Amino acid sequence: MALVTRGLAKAYRGADGRPLPVLAGVDLRVERGEFVAVTGTSGSGKSTLLHLLGLLETADAGEVWIGDVRASHLSRRAQARVRGAAIGYVFQSFLLIGRLTALDNVLLAARYVGRRRAEAERDALALMERLGVLERRHHYPAQLSGGEQQRVAYCRAVLNRPPLVLADEPTGSLDEAHGRVILEELRRLAREGGGTVAMVTHRDDAARAADRVLRLEGGRLAAASAATRPAPIGAR
Amino acid sequence: MVGLRRLVPRGYLFTVIGIAVGLAGLVALGAMAERISRFVEGGERFVRSHITVAGAGIGMGVGFTAGGLLPRAKIAAVARVPGVAAVEPQVMLPLSTSTSQFLALTQELVLGLDAGGSSVASVRELPVRAGRMLAPGERGRVVVGADFAGARRLGVGGPLALGGRAFTVVGVLQQTLTAPDRFAIVALEDARDLWLARDPLLVQVLTAGGTLDRDDLNSGVVVRWAPGEDPDALARRIQATVPGVNVTVPGEVSRVLRESTAFLSALLLGVGVLGLVIGGLSLSNTVSAAVFERIGEFGIKRALGATDGQLLREVLLEALGVSLSGGLLGIGLAVAIGWVVDTAILREGQQAFVFSSRLVLFALLFALVLGALAAAYATQRIVRLTPAEAIRRGA
Repeated sequence: MALVTRGLAKAYRGADGRPLPVLAGVDLRVERGEFVAVTGTSGSGKSTLLHLLGLLETADAGEVWIGDVRASHLSRRAQARVRGAAIGYVFQSFLLIGRLTALDNVLLAARYVGRRRAEAERDALALMERLGVLERRHHYPAQLSGGEQQRVAYCRAVLNRPPLVLADEPTGSLDEAHGRVILEELRRLAREGGGTVAMVTHRDDAARAADRVLRLEGGRLAAASAATRPAPIGAR
Repeated sequence: MVGLRRLVPRGYLFTVIGIAVGLAGLVALGAMAERISRFVEGGERFVRSHITVAGAGIGMGVGFTAGGLLPRAKIAAVARVPGVAAVEPQVMLPLSTSTSQFLALTQELVLGLDAGGSSVASVRELPVRAGRMLAPGERGRVVVGADFAGARRLGVGGPLALGGRAFTVVGVLQQTLTAPDRFAIVALEDARDLWLARDPLLVQVLTAGGTLDRDDLNSGVVVRWAPGEDPDALARRIQATVPGVNVTVPGEVSRVLRESTAFLSALLLGVGVLGLVIGGLSLSNTVSAAVFERIGEFGIKRALGATDGQLLREVLLEALGVSLSGGLLGIGLAVAIGWVVDTAILREGQQAFVFSSRLVLFALLFALVLGALAAAYATQRIVRLTPAEAIRRGA
């Protein structure tokens, strides 16, 4: 399922009430099975772009296509359905719900798309085992390390096998080893699962894990410099 | 606290406690209002249940009769008035003759009645909690009201000294929250003895060879009307037919009672409104604050595909569970407070709280409805935000 944006624009209102443009007409195409990284300096609008791609925010102008659906122009209810069924979101700060156990956090993804709990739980346990957090399934987020929390959050994002996975600085709060685990998973998802993966990051080493690296500057996307271009597979 | 944590959904303990405190205030104030309401209603029922006739003059000025002695001949004249079904002579005396007791609303009374007489008296129809009512011809026995017994820790078979005379308790009445709660009911002849022992002048009058004897020692008579008879019309007929008596007209007494308890009624309304405002504000504020606190969680759930309807349903169910837990805890708390206060002041023959089933049911419904409304309002406010904005605000 390809991800396409056309002329995507977004501005926030500054303290003085004047609009502060963040995205000024972003055109992007990510093919099915492709892993694309978007880099940029802090405040360049990377997270805003990802929010618009994930239908977490509304654009001032432009459109977002997920597959052959113009998702940006759907009703609120229909957008919620698309988010639940087609998009998996990995947040930088994990965003696990503190009063739920790790397993219940993962299963939350299945609750709103009408999956049967038994079947979802089977998938969740298999995923958690693969990510090495099965033993921690009955623990609450506060009882988990940062790496464990991010792996649990990743399990939640991919539980419903969404065709589109969006990752917002997924390694930003992790050490190198734990960051590598998540990046490997994202790459595997695109290569082996045929998923479409878009990741924003300010870390060049993380960006190198992607098939293609784009840079967000002045509210527009451009091809990345040589330093952040993807490394050949064998060099990873 | 640990036990409570197990009962309440995780993350909601303080919400439940907040609701409980607000609702405890509502229920406690409501229970006090119920007490006042019962007092006013009970008084109204009591004065409308019979006509009281006393002798002319200022007389005793005691209890529910106002007038002088009512001699036997006058009672017979009252009984002959058309429409009178039955009469029953009574002696009503204050237990304590101190001025302060006369002025108190909670005055304790000794009521003497003829247990073998006509079946007039509503007093004899009062429900007995323990033991029995007085039997005909029985002397030296007493049946006491609930507050009277509670204040003295009296039980059936126990001794009780009244006016220096020894009595045995044969019955304790159920609580009525009205005047009979403070009655000590004895045989008419025993009451006459107590009266004579208390008033030496009466003894001189009776022994002076005049026209009065013991049977004329009545502080009043209770009149029950024939079926279909208008009690107010009958009372006026007695007043017009029998000279030298004071007759209480039930309708007039009821009106006077209502006027004199207007303050209590206003207080009742004020207490009720105050309870609703305090409890309602506390509950709705606690529930909506608990929902707003979870704004970030809502953002996450919407990012995971939750629709507005799914979130609203989820929040409503949780709000109902939390409101129910808080409501039950609050009611329990209020009952505990009421029990402690009533136990302390029952020694003075008083009860401040009545936790009626209608009050408890209303409080629970109030908690559930208001909790659901507050949760729905807060959820509607939150779902207007984009998921990203909700996550940002919750961070």
